[in-house]
Amino acid sequence: MIWFQLQSLMGSYPLALRGLGMTIALSGISLVLGTILGFALGVLRTSGSRLLDSIIGLWVDLIRGTPFLVQIFLIFFILPELGVELDAFTAGIIALTNLAACFICEIVAAGIRSVPTGQVEAALASGLSQWQRMRQVVLPQAMRVSLPPLVGQYVLLIKDSSVVSAIGLTDLTRVGWLVVQRVPNGLLVFAIVGIGYFVVCYPLILLARRLERRMSAAHGEVQL
Amino acid sequence: MIEFRGVNKWFGALHVLKDITLSVEPREVVVVCGPSGSGKSTLIRCINGLETIKDGDLVVDGQRLGDRATNMTELRTEIGFVFQAFNLYPHKTALENVTLAPIHVRKIARGEAEASGREMLAKVGLGDKFNAYPSELSGGQQQRVAIARCLCMRPKIMLFDEPTSALDPEMISEVLDVMVGVAEEGMTMMVVTHEMGFARKVAQRVVFMDAGAVVETGTPEEFFSDPKTDRSRAFLSKILRH
Ligand SMILES: Nc1ncnc2c1ncn2[C@@H]1O[C@H](COP(=O)(O)OP(=O)(O)O)[C@@H](O)[C@H]1O
Ligand SMILES: [Mg+2]
Repeated sequence: MIWFQLQSLMGSYPLALRGLGMTIALSGISLVLGTILGFALGVLRTSGSRLLDSIIGLWVDLIRGTPFLVQIFLIFFILPELGVELDAFTAGIIALTNLAACFICEIVAAGIRSVPTGQVEAALASGLSQWQRMRQVVLPQAMRVSLPPLVGQYVLLIKDSSVVSAIGLTDLTRVGWLVVQRVPNGLLVFAIVGIGYFVVCYPLILLARRLERRMSAAHGEVQL
Repeated sequence: MIEFRGVNKWFGALHVLKDITLSVEPREVVVVCGPSGSGKSTLIRCINGLETIKDGDLVVDGQRLGDRATNMTELRTEIGFVFQAFNLYPHKTALENVTLAPIHVRKIARGEAEASGREMLAKVGLGDKFNAYPSELSGGQQQRVAIARCLCMRPKIMLFDEPTSALDPEMISEVLDVMVGVAEEGMTMMVVTHEMGFARKVAQRVVFMDAGAVVETGTPEEFFSDPKTDRSRAFLSKILRH
């Protein structure tokens, strides 16, 4: 029986690869975009403008305080009603990028706030511009604090990407649903789906741990 | 070079600088002393705009602070500031610390900046520490790197905020010696310190502050041997006791 199911599963491997590819593409693109956006938001949040800080803070709280599934539905089903047509892939990318940016914004802002004010004052006193102070003095030190949680967050986001199967994207999770209709062994199928995610996430988990260990040895800046 | 005219500043309800009028001539060395909390740090931090003033005029190198025409970032490149806590960049080596601003602010070519950075570090006695990180240096060495970091910008003015207060006693003189050298080369300096030996050696004037006001000004000779006010006498007896 199991043997037969396994054989049947083998037949589904092109579909599984497609699902894995979709999961990797979705997470990869959103994480890159989300990281860029998240850094920008984190820097803006700590730039000293009370107004910007509270606007970004409100948005971040809103996103963190609502289920990701609801956010995806809003983007995929509600935006078209307002005249913005989106395919499922774009909607997924937007939702995941936004989610990633919000979490990364908080991690980056916390890192920036952890840099002693004396560092900024020294940079200020030597005539560095705001951007140079950020780039040369603050961010390298902030990364020391931010990098391990940042990589940890990537792992969470890759797993969160499974929610996009709800709007019909054939990612790893949806492939599981499709296959389980043909091979009625949910335990086996979803165990394999789980392994798929783990294979993507595990290197990141290892990287996060490695970074954390390196922190103590570094002189305030982290090189990968 | 530096001129305070009727400067006032508040931190909320705290009147931290009270009607300060004071000027520092080019090549002059002025020592500022006074009890803790009297506003000495605030006073010199105003000069490079780390603090802003509420009213009065503060003119530095011919430019009035707070004027729209005054480019504060540019003015800061002419003013070196040495902090009590050194504030070296921990993720950069000694050489990187002293070349950062020359390369990025003065736009000096890296090779040239590094050459003069090495020269400056050698001058403050750290010719063998170019590649050391701040965490690998003693307090006295870190403060000397911090001074070299300012000097590499070829500033017109150097400000020191209690540069030796965070140091172990045996490291104080190595830093003071460097500062004496800078003074003897004709730098305009304002130094918050209680190091009376330094004041006697290079200062033209001592300014005594208490509770946000300049209470007494005089040559080191006058001030130390014949303080005019009760408050300065009380202060001197306290710091000279140990
Ligand atoms: N950023 C600040 N906000 C509020 N109060 C401050 C701030 N900085 C300094 N003060 C207060 O201003 C007074 C003068 O401080 P400071 O200039 O540091 O004195 P000093 O350097 O002579 O010890 C102190 O009472 C201090 O507590
Ligand atoms: Mg002080």
